[in-house]
Amino acid sequence: MIRIDGLRKTYGAIVAVDGLSLEVGPGTVLGFLGRNGAGKTTTIRMMMGLLEPTAGTVVLGGHDIRREPEAAKAVTGYLPDHPHLYDKLTGHEYLAFVAGLYGVSRRETRQRAASLLAELDLAPHAGALVETFSHGMRQRLALAGALIHRPRILVLDEPMVGLDPQGALELRRLLQRLAREGVAIFLSTHSLSVAEDVSTHIAILDGGRLVALGTFDELRARACAAGGNGRDPAEAVSLEDVFLGILGSQP
Amino acid sequence: MTGQPALLLAPRLLAARNVVRRAPGRPLLVAVLTTVFWAGCFSAFVRVLGYFQRLPDFGPLLTQRLLGLLFLCFGAVLLVSNTVTALGTFYLADDVAPLLAAPVPARRLHHARFVETLLSSSWMVLVVMLPALAAYGVVHDAGATYYLGTVAVLVPFLVIPAALGVLVTTVLVFLFPARGVRDALLAGTPLVLGAGVLAVRLLDPERLARPSGLAGFAGFLADLGAPGSPWLPSTWAAEVLLPLLGSHGGDALFHLGLLASTATMLFLVSATLVEAVFLRAWTHAQTGRAEPAAAERLLTRWLAGLVRPLPRIPGLLLAKDAAVFLRDATQWSQLLLVGALVAIYVYNFAALPLDDDSPLAVAMRDLAALLNLGLGAFVTTAVAVRFVYPMPSLEGRAWWIVRTAPVALERIWWAKFWGAFLPLLAFASALVFATNALLVVTPAVTAVFLVSLVPLVAAEVSLGLWLGARHATLDTRNAAQIATSFGAIVYMLVSLCLIALVVAAESWPVAGLLGLARSGMPGGLDLTLRAVALGWVVSVPAFVVAWRRGLQAWSRL
Repeated sequence: MIRIDGLRKTYGAIVAVDGLSLEVGPGTVLGFLGRNGAGKTTTIRMMMGLLEPTAGTVVLGGHDIRREPEAAKAVTGYLPDHPHLYDKLTGHEYLAFVAGLYGVSRRETRQRAASLLAELDLAPHAGALVETFSHGMRQRLALAGALIHRPRILVLDEPMVGLDPQGALELRRLLQRLAREGVAIFLSTHSLSVAEDVSTHIAILDGGRLVALGTFDELRARACAAGGNGRDPAEAVSLEDVFLGILGSQP
Repeated sequence: MTGQPALLLAPRLLAARNVVRRAPGRPLLVAVLTTVFWAGCFSAFVRVLGYFQRLPDFGPLLTQRLLGLLFLCFGAVLLVSNTVTALGTFYLADDVAPLLAAPVPARRLHHARFVETLLSSSWMVLVVMLPALAAYGVVHDAGATYYLGTVAVLVPFLVIPAALGVLVTTVLVFLFPARGVRDALLAGTPLVLGAGVLAVRLLDPERLARPSGLAGFAGFLADLGAPGSPWLPSTWAAEVLLPLLGSHGGDALFHLGLLASTATMLFLVSATLVEAVFLRAWTHAQTGRAEPAAAERLLTRWLAGLVRPLPRIPGLLLAKDAAVFLRDATQWSQLLLVGALVAIYVYNFAALPLDDDSPLAVAMRDLAALLNLGLGAFVTTAVAVRFVYPMPSLEGRAWWIVRTAPVALERIWWAKFWGAFLPLLAFASALVFATNALLVVTPAVTAVFLVSLVPLVAAEVSLGLWLGARHATLDTRNAAQIATSFGAIVYMLVSLCLIALVVAAESWPVAGLLGLARSGMPGGLDLTLRAVALGWVVSVPAFVVAWRRGLQAWSRL
């Protein structure tokens, strides 16, 4: 579903992403972790065709994002870290607009929008202008827009930011359901508990380089073996320990 | 207490400084373009004023009245421009909230925002006004006192409409709490435009253009020599400069005193009013509707129906842009400014003599006809800088929505292009056609202008989409601010240079066509074709270059 190969981005002498390669299969949720400035958002922007890579390829659903950008985007839903929307459109108008961009028929748009608005608890606000929405409501509306065309791939950048505990819980459940339905999910987050709950696989980026990739169990074993962060390997049970352990062992 | 006005202006100044530091070529580019534009304007004004000045008997009187008209027209534009800009800078700007939360007295906030409003509203007028006033000095061989007097006049002349604009906006925003800013401005439109029309009527500009042949010439001279309305600042401004030009006697200091005292008084009234009601007015301005009004929903639905026959993607983008435009006060309120510009433009043409064969009347008519393509395109550029140039910036931080959708960038660009080109071409064509009709211009010249407008407007739209993307300010949601940014200045100047080139390229064959029409001779097909071809030779390459560069700029947004 998602194949990233040798992805690299430099800004002059600064290397933001350095030779990143990984794959995310159907039904997989990849938790994409890293410190601030590790290159997570840069990676995602290159994946979505928002930023030209210096080198490397990104293939989404079998389509190279640089060679066949429209085909790659058509199978992908994207939620950015700061989902700025059109303030002067209503929630419903926004979804209809996005659905149109993805070629969803008008009839299906109506059904799909109603279903997503209800599922994301936005139905009572569908006729209100987006500018009156709270941050969490915007986040949920943007997510509805990302799902309106039934994507096979979902790329999420910090989706939990701004959500209240109830909203965050519902999002976790939604992601788990989507994964069960075969959607490949690329989830960038700072929330290790979310990643631990939802992800089937974990990737850790540090200084633009992929320093760990595997299932949680595999990474835990690796962290224990390395005895990272000066802890007793036996204590490294949570993803936080694994994360700190692996990053602590990096030069 | 903190917040000296200079400190409050610091974010804008520092941002400008940082932009210059990052791109040191920018000021140079603006300087070069401004110099080219000013040189062109200056030379045109010198030639026209010199020609009028040399007309026997009433030439000098005519140039005097033209000065009054110049101040009147610019004053009216400034009044509307300041009113629209003040809405953004005082009541809709994002950075007002943090300033309100800081210990900044409302009076100091007023002073800082006042300066910002004045500068944003006045720079474009100054760009045209300064070479005109300099040309007056050169033609009249004026001394240094004239140029010093010009500076002394311009300061209060700019302050007066700025203060009136702030006052009108504040009163309207304060008076219409529940119905929102839109209704306030809708109610204020007739007031502002009415004031403009009243001002024009008070000056009675047709007096300068209706010589009525040589019959009753003494009466005409007396009429022409009479000053404009003594109540208007535009008259005071002219009455300060005319004695300094040596045109006629008069008390320059008295009129300068009138200007300065009025400006000071209005500034203080504006500061006092804003100080008294700012928080309440600002709160009212923030109280937007949660949902679009019924009429708005109807309009949006009608728009959606209107774009249905179009291919889906262009239709969607057009409907989205139209809905956002209609609901965003900072965007649609600029229509007021455009309305004022058009009203003044058409009114000036309507005032020209049509049924008169005196040499002056014929000369003015031919000159107006010759320049009409350029003047119409100039007004169109003033519209484009407010509606086309901001398009990329207004996509703003929501650009990711379209950019990550499976839609080729080229399709987005063309959708934006057609959405701007067709209404703008219709606007420019109607303007040129109407004013040519008022001037009773030969159909061949009108045809040349209308055909020339197609690639010229296409090039202007293409330039707007290119430079708008090249200098996009994605974090600015205020369309009025985008239209007064650095990139907008560059766009305006580049467009004006392009227009000047097209007008210059076509001037010789068009002058030939006008001569043929005047002498009643048939023919002129070769001149018509030559004029069109010359215009297209300039415009088409400009369009192609801007289109290619524009696509690159959009891909980097």
